[in-house]
Amino acid sequence: MTEVAKSGSDSGWICNRCKAPVEVQTVRLQYLKTIFALHLPACPRCGMILIDEDMAIKMAEAEQALEDK
Amino acid sequence: MISAKMDDIMEKAHPDETESLCPVCLKRIKATRLLRGNEVFLIKKCGEHGSFKTVIWRGQPSMSEWQRPKDPIHPDLCYGAVEKGCPYDCGLCAAHEQLPCSVLLEVTDRCNLHCAVCFADSGHGGGEDPSLEKISWLLERAMAAAGSCNLQLSGGEPTLRDDLPEIVEIAQRIGYSFIQVNTNGFRLAADRDYARRLLGTGLSSVFLQFDGVDDAIYRSLRGRALLDQKLQAVKSCGEIGLGVVLVPTLVRGVNTDSIGAMVRQALQLVPTVRGIHFQPISYFGRFPGQSNDEGRFTLPELMRCLEEQTGGLVKVSDFSPPGCEHAHCSFHATYMYSAEGGLIRIGGTEGDSCCSTDPLPGGVRRTVETVSRRWTLPSATPFFRSPPLSKETSCCGRSSRDATRVEAPLDLDVFLGEIATRSFTMSAMAFQDADNLDLERLRGCCISVISPDGMLVPFCAYNLTSREGKGLYRRRNGLELQ
Repeated sequence: MTEVAKSGSDSGWICNRCKAPVEVQTVRLQYLKTIFALHLPACPRCGMILIDEDMAIKMAEAEQALEDK
Repeated sequence: MISAKMDDIMEKAHPDETESLCPVCLKRIKATRLLRGNEVFLIKKCGEHGSFKTVIWRGQPSMSEWQRPKDPIHPDLCYGAVEKGCPYDCGLCAAHEQLPCSVLLEVTDRCNLHCAVCFADSGHGGGEDPSLEKISWLLERAMAAAGSCNLQLSGGEPTLRDDLPEIVEIAQRIGYSFIQVNTNGFRLAADRDYARRLLGTGLSSVFLQFDGVDDAIYRSLRGRALLDQKLQAVKSCGEIGLGVVLVPTLVRGVNTDSIGAMVRQALQLVPTVRGIHFQPISYFGRFPGQSNDEGRFTLPELMRCLEEQTGGLVKVSDFSPPGCEHAHCSFHATYMYSAEGGLIRIGGTEGDSCCSTDPLPGGVRRTVETVSRRWTLPSATPFFRSPPLSKETSCCGRSSRDATRVEAPLDLDVFLGEIATRSFTMSAMAFQDADNLDLERLRGCCISVISPDGMLVPFCAYNLTSREGKGLYRRRNGLELQ
């Protein structure tokens, strides 16, 4: 993934496309028919959302729990 | 001869051809699914015994939209050979179109109730219980053909066997991944040690016969007042950590007005109760008052009753057709039920059919590329605040907490923390009898009974009874020893 680059400062990530620092926002994401409210870093300009590894693992767990038989 | 009137109906039919059996002689005959108004009928004619017409679906959601097409998959190891054709070659035979997800073994014919609604015709003093050795052989044989699927231990009343925990242990050793017992709950209510032993040897779940919250219902269906024992059975299971699914048999006019009450009672018993699984009565030839359309209670009617009687706590739109068995056999919906009383629908199939490629009708789609393309931004959804909830007061099913439907987005951490213990499934299965049997549905069946001679037979074929009291596979007087 090259859309997000780590900034020099310790404050976090920058959107590589927009060159804007990402901000934590309340984002709603849907899997199948279930909607989750998540606090995730996102670019305030283009809306790109950053999912780090820990979050990805949780989402994968949620996918498994939701998958219909 | 078909009467002139029937001829008239057939000519106006939207042909939907299938096959069924004559309810008198069980000969295979052609059948047609016919929509008249908002009701679908199965119409068939036997050369010897005349014409038959049975209602199979009433109202919305329509039968035509209730689809979940599956590619047929044939069993590899078949104990039955294709000779006379469906449904006479079960074992399963190679023409079967679905693999079993569940096998059922009747471990005894004895029973301590004598319910008129029993599909298993139990308790009429047939034969001895099969030995542990015989059971082991049957379970191994079923495993060889069906793989490591769910196992249902049934009967009669399986808890009449003191060695039921040993049977569970055998099943575990052979490799069954999920073992449930179908029971009236009497012994679980009265004998905590027995319940503990069952859990200890690997029982996964209890499917508890539970017909309502009013003893008049039990007197009518089961012969005596049973509600206290049922609630005690749930309590016993809860104390040792054994999950329970409530299983009502629905009979129109007896407990079909209590559907909402049953759901609310079930929710009060979460997390011990993991779900409620309704079974509208089927006429296996043993229920007094022969089958007629008036008494039949079809799946869409049940779905609508669930919405009406719970005041919209659950909605018809929550329900989906099954991924395993034939679409017309069942429906289900999964929820999370929070300790505060919020009921949230979770999961569900994408779109209206399994073939939908766009899970989001309208709206902007942006995918979370690092995880999965199936996660999306939802289209603008109104955010409902949960209404103020009343405080939970006491335990044991007497809580004053009211269940409320919640449509708000979930917190992911809360969801992951609670989903294992607070999920609640609402479902129903419509069994087939000699009047409404549709062989297309039978070939898609995923629940096989393990017969005493080690054959796998789809559940409805095994329990089917003609109007003359004859079966295709079940021997009249219970289990036979090898």
